[in-house]
Amino acid sequence: MMVRFEVTLDKITRKAFSRNPVLADKLGLTAKSIGRTTDHFLDTWMGKAGLIIIFFFIFVAIYARLFIEYDRFEMGIYDHLLDMSWEHPFGTDNMGRDVLTRAAEGTEPSLIVGFAAMGISMILGTLVGLASGYVGGWKDEVIMRFNDMFLSIPWLVLMIVLAAVLESRSLGTIIIVIGITGWSGTARIVRAQVLSLKERQFVERARAIGAGDGHIIMKHIFPNVVPLVFANAILTIAICILSEATLSFLRLGPSNVETWGKILSDAYQQSAALNGPYAFIIMPGLCIVFVVLGFTFMGYAMDEVLNPKLRQR
Amino acid sequence: MLKRIINAFITVLLIMSLNFVLFRMVPSDPALLMMNRDPQTTMAVYWRNVETMGLNDSLPEQYIGYMIDTFTLEWGTSYEYRMPVFEVTKAAIGWTILLVGTSTALVFIIGMALGKVAAMRRGKATDISITGFGIFFYGMPVFWFAIVLLIIFAGNTSWFPVAFRMTPGTEPFPITLDKIIDILHHMALPTAVMTIGGVAGVILIMRNSLVDVLTEDYILTGYAKGLSGKQVMRRHAGPNARLPIVTTLAMDVAFIFGGAFQVEIIFSYKGIGWYTIMAIWNSDYPMCQFIFLIGGVAVVVANLVADLVLVKLDPRVQIT
Repeated sequence: MMVRFEVTLDKITRKAFSRNPVLADKLGLTAKSIGRTTDHFLDTWMGKAGLIIIFFFIFVAIYARLFIEYDRFEMGIYDHLLDMSWEHPFGTDNMGRDVLTRAAEGTEPSLIVGFAAMGISMILGTLVGLASGYVGGWKDEVIMRFNDMFLSIPWLVLMIVLAAVLESRSLGTIIIVIGITGWSGTARIVRAQVLSLKERQFVERARAIGAGDGHIIMKHIFPNVVPLVFANAILTIAICILSEATLSFLRLGPSNVETWGKILSDAYQQSAALNGPYAFIIMPGLCIVFVVLGFTFMGYAMDEVLNPKLRQR
Repeated sequence: MLKRIINAFITVLLIMSLNFVLFRMVPSDPALLMMNRDPQTTMAVYWRNVETMGLNDSLPEQYIGYMIDTFTLEWGTSYEYRMPVFEVTKAAIGWTILLVGTSTALVFIIGMALGKVAAMRRGKATDISITGFGIFFYGMPVFWFAIVLLIIFAGNTSWFPVAFRMTPGTEPFPITLDKIIDILHHMALPTAVMTIGGVAGVILIMRNSLVDVLTEDYILTGYAKGLSGKQVMRRHAGPNARLPIVTTLAMDVAFIFGGAFQVEIIFSYKGIGWYTIMAIWNSDYPMCQFIFLIGGVAVVVANLVADLVLVKLDPRVQIT
């Protein structure tokens, strides 16, 4: 059978800190609970499948350059717009560049956009949600109206307009654009959770023994929000990667790096959809589909783990 | 309820303000953009544009002017078409609503049916294949899926037309049966893309909420008093499981619009989305601004309606 992380992590941690029994005990418990979550996660078929897919793409992103045979910029006059072959598994583009090479080069920026934009939205969303839910009153109202505004604006249009407004579009600015358009959903979820946590007895008890607001938020409320944010974060990565692909496809993506959306945009402009080669347009799209699929699987698996009611049966 | 309406109104005001700020940040000169499309390009034209567009006023004055214009239905003139933006887009709005409405209705019907099947056979092969199917299409870039369908059904087999809302050169009115068939034929692929892309979300929500509901005690009570599985589903489980879908749908309106944009571009279906992307590529900012506004208002209204529907469906919900 598989490795049970619950047992192994506990053992390893206790051994590593065996000189300080108190600390070892504390860390061992933490490691044990992390291990248990991992075990449950890997018990679901979605968790396993998702993890394998994502590891594969991370591997490609890191080591692609070792394996690819062609130069990304190497062009050929006679072999442009080729269909799939053993020499060019994804075919070639209109300038004779190998599409597999381009797709492999595009893996890294796509993943970076996913993780970085997710980071920005999660941090913004959690901060806003915590503040708004904990403070309450008219300040909460003001924040929520702004939040409503961000939720109501057609998300793609806002992103497109922001990207169009930017004079220079680099990877960094696109990450910021995607990050700041995606936080409002998280803020709303976090706020709802904070509102219910705030009324619990442990918060009241902490306040009764003289804890300040900062302490209560950091030690009592924030840790209870983390699992929620975590499950949400994995799904957000998928959405961020999709957003980047859409922007790039509409020629509003980062101009300094290769991305899958950009390859698709090139293919579409060569009307590869109607005249072929179909590989030029199908393969980069499949890369996006599988990465998104991987993250979505992991997100739902995480949801199943963190929602004990679903796990019981 | 009154508070909800006031909040919605404040949200609309905020959207308008953002709209104002955003398009003042655009790094180009509106008067120049207007002039470049004018055959007689002289400096006099430029300064006339500056004057008529109110660019000499201070920013607060422009802001108030914009607010007043919006409320008095003066939504600006398109640079590209040299007509009021509403005139340009009014037909397109109808076409987009037709597309979005049809696919949303289909998403609902198909999604709830499949979600129910998946929940009832939880953990079995049927469930895994339905959820797997759902997630697979959930993560598909809309524009790419549209292209793939285009390759299969329009490029290779020519079962469906490649583009446009109806056969070029015909007008939708007066409506005849042939024209309806023509429109439906043209709509089939775009609708299929939007339906398959959107159905996944509904399937997953329906499945999860039904799985949740089926563990409740009242379901057991239902069986205990001798109801059949079908009756329990219809009278007890179904109505409760449907509730989360209403809220999610309202939240998703913004996403549905996003999908419509991409589909319209790929199929050259001249709805709102097609005009938006063209407006952005042509730097036609008054058009962008107008579409931004109606998009935002549509979502706000959808949320209000969802609240009302929820009150009807669930007597426990109280609107403050």
